[in-house]
Amino acid sequence: MITGAEELSEQIVGLLPRLRRFARTLSRNQHDADDLVQAAIERAWRHQSQLKPGASLASWMFGIMKNAWIDDRRARGRRGEVALPEDSGDHPAVNPGDMNTEMWSVSEAMAKLPEEQRLAIALVLVEGLSYKEAAEALDIPMGTLTSRLARGRTALAAALGGAP
Amino acid sequence: MSATDEYDNETVTAYVDGELEAARRAEIDAAIAKDAALAARVDVQRKLRARLGQAFAGVEREPVPERLLAAARGPEAAPTQSPRGNVVPFPARGTRAPAQPWRAREWLAMAASLLLGVAISWRWLGAGEPVEMQGGALVASNQLATALDTQLASSQPADADVRIGLSFKARGGDFCRSFTLRGAASAGLACRAGDRWRIEALAKSDDASGELRQAATLPPAVLAAIEASIDGDALDAEAEAAAQGAGWKTTR
Repeated sequence: MITGAEELSEQIVGLLPRLRRFARTLSRNQHDADDLVQAAIERAWRHQSQLKPGASLASWMFGIMKNAWIDDRRARGRRGEVALPEDSGDHPAVNPGDMNTEMWSVSEAMAKLPEEQRLAIALVLVEGLSYKEAAEALDIPMGTLTSRLARGRTALAAALGGAP
Repeated sequence: MSATDEYDNETVTAYVDGELEAARRAEIDAAIAKDAALAARVDVQRKLRARLGQAFAGVEREPVPERLLAAARGPEAAPTQSPRGNVVPFPARGTRAPAQPWRAREWLAMAASLLLGVAISWRWLGAGEPVEMQGGALVASNQLATALDTQLASSQPADADVRIGLSFKARGGDFCRSFTLRGAASAGLACRAGDRWRIEALAKSDDASGELRQAATLPPAVLAAIEASIDGDALDAEAEAAAQGAGWKTTR
């Protein structure tokens, strides 16, 4: 069991850059995004027995992050806080230089997408997951994933226009 | 009459996302070559995908906060286990770790060992080495050089050993093209330098299957190199063909 924990630890550390990137597609506030990554990792450790042998750790972790993010948004909604990721009160949205204008305009367009489309777009177009992996992480059928992707793409293309 | 309408939007995006089976992909490769409208639709989706990937590529290069590393090590890891200060202990490269982005100097230092890996797996396919050192610079050779010279993204065979991704003009006026080496599970960026292609970036893919699914899912190091040098948009099929016809001559 010790070796199992060591291996899992190593693999999660290896995934950190991708988990942080996924979080930043969900929240433009870097501090909030890292909070989300931390919450997801803590959940993963608590529920490590649910990771099926042979299953993709990345898909599993992305799925946990999705749940943590949705829970967090609902909790904020109940507390009457701004549920949109526009929250810029406590922390600066970014450290200077961390987010270039291009990342800013793309995340702004993504922030306007409905939650479910944003998740599909983030996993497939930003993270490069296959449809199968993304559907598994989001726990939805493939057909649902592809239709969310299609609607998300149409909205993004309209928001971003042609030229980068 | 255009054949565009034969392919619905979900087919076009599945093509761009690398989700089609080989036969279907080959069919669309062939259709694109004959149908400018279809090629344009594919191009729009490719650019959107590349743009999203590039927009967030920088996050992977940020140092990972210590609190996340501590959380990742798990509840059983003693907090004093590894006093590393601000140094970010990236995991040993291998099994499941994502490809680490390399900055220019780092990647040059790594080039020798990577080169060996690429060369070995490439030779395994029976082709000559795709890259070689010339005058202290890494340049494309053999099949890779030929593909960069002649192959068009809009008409290349689906199962080509070298697949061309984006072609674009760099800020200095030279043409650059991204490529993937199927057999070697590697991808890179080459820019025209005189009559050669200088390798600007080269990275292993982190794809678990060992094969890059799509040019659009380039390793972060390659995306970063593209982002750092691209001037305006990537070339469309027409501009790509024109540049190829003119021998990739630098224009300013």
